[in-house]
Amino acid sequence: MRCATVKGTSAVTLLDLQGLSVTIPSPAGPVRAVRSIDLRIAKGEIHGLIGESGCGKTMTGMALLGLTPAGAQVAARVFQFDGIDLSTSAAVLRGRRIALISQDPAAALNPVLTIGRQMDNVLRTHSPHSEADRRAGAVALLAATGLPDADKLMTSYPHQLSGGMQQRVVIAQALATGADFLIADEPTTALDVAVGAQVLALLRQLVADRGLTILMITHDMDVVAAVCDRATVLYAGLSVETGPASAILTCPRHPYAAALLAALPDAAPHGQRLAAIDGQIPPSTKPISGCAFAPRCPAAMTLCHTVSPPVRVQGDHLWACHLAEGAP
Amino acid sequence: MTAPLLDVHNLVVRYKPRGLFAAAAKPAVDRVSLSLPAGSTLGVVGESGSGKSSLLRAVLRLVPVESGSITLDGQDWLAAHGPALRRARHSIGFVAQNPFLSLSPRLTIAQILAEPLLARGDKPGAAMQDRIAVLLSRCGLPPDFLPRRARELSGGQAQRVAIARALALSPRLLVLDEPTSALDVSVQAQILNLLMDLKADFGLSMLFVTHNLKVVAHIADQLMVMRQGSVVESGATERIMSAAEQLYTQELMGFGRRAQKSAPTS
Repeated sequence: MRCATVKGTSAVTLLDLQGLSVTIPSPAGPVRAVRSIDLRIAKGEIHGLIGESGCGKTMTGMALLGLTPAGAQVAARVFQFDGIDLSTSAAVLRGRRIALISQDPAAALNPVLTIGRQMDNVLRTHSPHSEADRRAGAVALLAATGLPDADKLMTSYPHQLSGGMQQRVVIAQALATGADFLIADEPTTALDVAVGAQVLALLRQLVADRGLTILMITHDMDVVAAVCDRATVLYAGLSVETGPASAILTCPRHPYAAALLAALPDAAPHGQRLAAIDGQIPPSTKPISGCAFAPRCPAAMTLCHTVSPPVRVQGDHLWACHLAEGAP
Repeated sequence: MTAPLLDVHNLVVRYKPRGLFAAAAKPAVDRVSLSLPAGSTLGVVGESGSGKSSLLRAVLRLVPVESGSITLDGQDWLAAHGPALRRARHSIGFVAQNPFLSLSPRLTIAQILAEPLLARGDKPGAAMQDRIAVLLSRCGLPPDFLPRRARELSGGQAQRVAIARALALSPRLLVLDEPTSALDVSVQAQILNLLMDLKADFGLSMLFVTHNLKVVAHIADQLMVMRQGSVVESGATERIMSAAEQLYTQELMGFGRRAQKSAPTS
């Protein structure tokens, strides 16, 4: 056995999602944006949702926020947040318990309102306090995100701030809602490397200080390594592997997760060919028979093309594969 | 030692100040020098505002240069004008970040690949069709892609077409601006493999501009790290990746897996 088995933990489950599917009607037939995703996130955890374009990671986040496109059909066997059924109350929890930090802070902020006004818009909706109290609260929240001169910043406009500062304002707004669960959709992709690292450190600190729980949607394995406790790997709208982030990064079990890590530029010696994954993801308009990754999998057997893979369990590391030991 | 293919010396690029009475702007590229030997790859790495794109545009002769010199294949590249400049441009191929923006949505792949050949004055005909098919297959796409349009392709396939187009006039220098930043990791690996193959087969020189140090470090022979218009550090890739002298370069190498491996955080 190459990898040590990690023992399961008995933390309180905040989000429990089983068999989530999101189907969007289109002229070319129903688009299966999310086919079947299982996601279980404990309180106080930063959970990475890893995948490439079209794997359904953003649509999963939108389903949690009740923001799926008009006409989309959302279904799940279990769809619970802190014991509340999200299939009926996602829109109610949005902005109260669940908040979004999007990829591009410049697009998330209103360019013609001051930071103070935008903070107050959030606070006014969520608290009955006086204007002076709300202002003090806004300054405190901005300061909590590590922004210098928070008081002065209240009269600034978004364009006067750098990308990293803008992202901190967006995080402060998310905190202002009083939400305890943040969905961070690629929060560092639009930022420079060093600034991105600071924003990740801030999120990590907020989890420790305020008991937040974060779903970190990302395609960047470095982000997963830097902040995530656990992670789930998505492929073609399916969750194919879930477990401790360190186990997935060092000892991936699903052949797709292994291939994804092997394709990174620093996985091969300098100047040598990278292990690219041949082929393409299956079209989201077609149903999948057997394992979704089978057509691209180097270890695929005949069985893989026809029969859905069983879920393998090793401690709190789960993956769906016909190979008992996972990726060779 | 043969003369370098591309030689940039003390290059300064400065944009006009915005207002009538505004102070002179800081140079976007401030006395940058580089030397790219034939058949080698130089990675230019920098974050937003580092001047890497301005440097690239100056090399492509798309922005005016304030001072300094650029020598391409022994010729004074900044002295070329008019028809001579048009002819000289044949020796540089360019690949942009987003293939869906750089490929016309109206044209078929065959028409897209024919454009540079027609612009050079080649006659349309069977020979050109053959050339186009060879270019496309060299970039890993079968001929049945020729009648398709860009929107029918995936991001990786579209970037292959953009690379094929850049190679149409057999350039000696390929300039790449973030060619894999819009692509997924698995596709990025395919494109990097393709670039390494092309470099080996055609003896291409490449100027690879990106914000992602890890990506370019994999295929570049030399690295140049830029910040606020100036060169922070440059040298052989192995040397910089194993022992970066500047703290800024180390910062650029990022956080996460690499950082975790070398120094476990408490």
